[in-house]
Amino acid sequence: MADPILKIEGLEVAVEDKPILKGVDLEVPQGEVHALMGPNGSGKSTLAYALAGHPRYEITGGSVFFDGKDLAEMEADERAQAGLFLAMQYPVEVPGVSVMNFLRSAVNATRGEEIPVREFAKLFKEKSALLQFDPSFADRYLNEGFSGGEKKRHEILQMALLEPKFAILDETDSGLDVDALRIVSEGVNAQRGPDLGVLIITHYTRILNYITPDVVHVMYEGRIAKTGGPELAEQLEQEGYVGFGSTEPAAAPR
Amino acid sequence: MAEAPAWAAEARDEAVAALDALPVLTGTEEEWRFTPPAELGMNGDDATGGTASGTIDLPAAAGRSARLAFIDGAPAPAEVADLPEGVIVAELGEALAAHEDLVRDRLYSLAGLDDRPGALNAASWDAGTFVYVPRGVEVTLPVETILTATGATGRVFGRTLVIVEEGARATVIDRYLSPDLDGAVHASSVVELFVADGGELEHVSYIGWGRGVRHQATIRAAAGKDARVRSVNVTLGGDIVRVEPTMYCRGSGADARALGLYFATGSQHFEHRVVSRHEAPQAYSNLLYKGAIQDTAHTVFFGNLVVPPGAPGTDAYQTNRNLILNEGARADTIPFLEIETAEVKCSHAGAVGRVDDEQLFYLMSRGVPELEAKHQIVYGFFQEVLDEISFDELRDELADAARAKVR
Repeated sequence: MADPILKIEGLEVAVEDKPILKGVDLEVPQGEVHALMGPNGSGKSTLAYALAGHPRYEITGGSVFFDGKDLAEMEADERAQAGLFLAMQYPVEVPGVSVMNFLRSAVNATRGEEIPVREFAKLFKEKSALLQFDPSFADRYLNEGFSGGEKKRHEILQMALLEPKFAILDETDSGLDVDALRIVSEGVNAQRGPDLGVLIITHYTRILNYITPDVVHVMYEGRIAKTGGPELAEQLEQEGYVGFGSTEPAAAPR
Repeated sequence: MAEAPAWAAEARDEAVAALDALPVLTGTEEEWRFTPPAELGMNGDDATGGTASGTIDLPAAAGRSARLAFIDGAPAPAEVADLPEGVIVAELGEALAAHEDLVRDRLYSLAGLDDRPGALNAASWDAGTFVYVPRGVEVTLPVETILTATGATGRVFGRTLVIVEEGARATVIDRYLSPDLDGAVHASSVVELFVADGGELEHVSYIGWGRGVRHQATIRAAAGKDARVRSVNVTLGGDIVRVEPTMYCRGSGADARALGLYFATGSQHFEHRVVSRHEAPQAYSNLLYKGAIQDTAHTVFFGNLVVPPGAPGTDAYQTNRNLILNEGARADTIPFLEIETAEVKCSHAGAVGRVDDEQLFYLMSRGVPELEAKHQIVYGFFQEVLDEISFDELRDELADAARAKVR
């Protein structure tokens, strides 16, 4: 069997010297969609940022291999160029940088060559329609004045344009209404296939009703506490995280 | 230069006398405490000049309605494409006699002999440009002046006088260029801009000196009733540069904007002192200066909105924002207000911040390398000012020049 696209062993991560991840073991074979669930503060987002290479998240132990490469040795841009993508929970506003310029430079950087302007325009048109963006959106400044739903759709649009080998969706469902959640989920499902691994990080089971995971992991206090099939999500939907020592529910508040 | 008429010779004598009478600047004066006046040659001490590391290729005159160039103050042949009837673009030295009726009352009236920078320039300027746009006439392409320094002389002086009559429109660019010099050159420039009722003027000052040049620049603009004046100043080059733009709102309905972009790197020191004076009621002014600072460079921004008694309905704003690119780079911002009229709307803001790590990470997490990500962030930061430059090709050139400084 081929090596998993993502292989995490005994991973320890600290933020400003405070240990958050305390030995995470996780493997995602290429082409599979895994969900990573857990109550607030369990370390889910820390794992996302550490994988993407945020300089504030320091790997203090263990190892992470992505597509056979040691991520600890790579800067954030190199990880993205290697095919790793993080859809952020809080996409950052960059004033004065237009969506179009940003997207084109991101596509060029991840492909390692200049995409012809005409080809990019075609690609952008096609993918932005999929995520239901109006073309005028290209001239807006990056995430500036975007609604919560626009920000999340824009993250998935980037994923569609960059065609990563592996995507981490960090709380992509948070703050989305049902319509936006459906658009975002359809965007992800359209990309699903044998050449894309996905890790969906979520507190609530809601998004998993739209994107069915192959495997569900539960994180608690900086470690993977349990791994199972989609039925584990259903169990959490009913029981919440009480079995892991937390009183938080996993069903989305209505 | 042609023989100066008697009135101009007298004015020059007065300037020399003023220079003798004005106290020597020591650097302890309040308005001089950030930039040593001696370093700018304010007391008449000449710099030695120096050897140039190369030459400057004058940018093409294409896309200009007229262009004058001065090399160390000596005029190169003017290039005039086509100017509408009645429009004058001439060397200021020639215009003293040829257009005395237009020049005499205006020259030195906005920037006179009451301070050393003004008196010094008035006593010594040689590279001069005169632009006149008669009533109701529009000059669509910009008029451009280029002053260069080669290091052959320790001083260069530039002077620009622009008159835009009622309802007329024009764009004027003053560009200051040199190669890197291994010695010091003092540059002094004064720009006087007069925009009559309902006129429109966009003035762009681009300070693109190489190493070794120290420059004191005065820009003064007077806006009449319902006139629109935009002064854009871009400071990228020179070792020590002090730019002093003042916008005078002289008629109600005037709209005066002073926009600035600066990027100091290496050990560059830039000071911008930007003022708007509301001498009439119901006028609008907006000062917006944005700067990036890198390496061990230092910048100072002093901004002031002056609203004397008798200017009700004034609407005046000033903003200065600074982006620090590394530890060791420094920016000071001093926003000031002098309001002596009630019923005005005024605001001021000054800020100094670092490149946002989250912005940097966001761009890098999409594969954009760190340097390119910083380019984008700096470009984005300047965008607000660049957006105000009407000529795309000039805007792109300035944006590229600014981006190229990011390391």
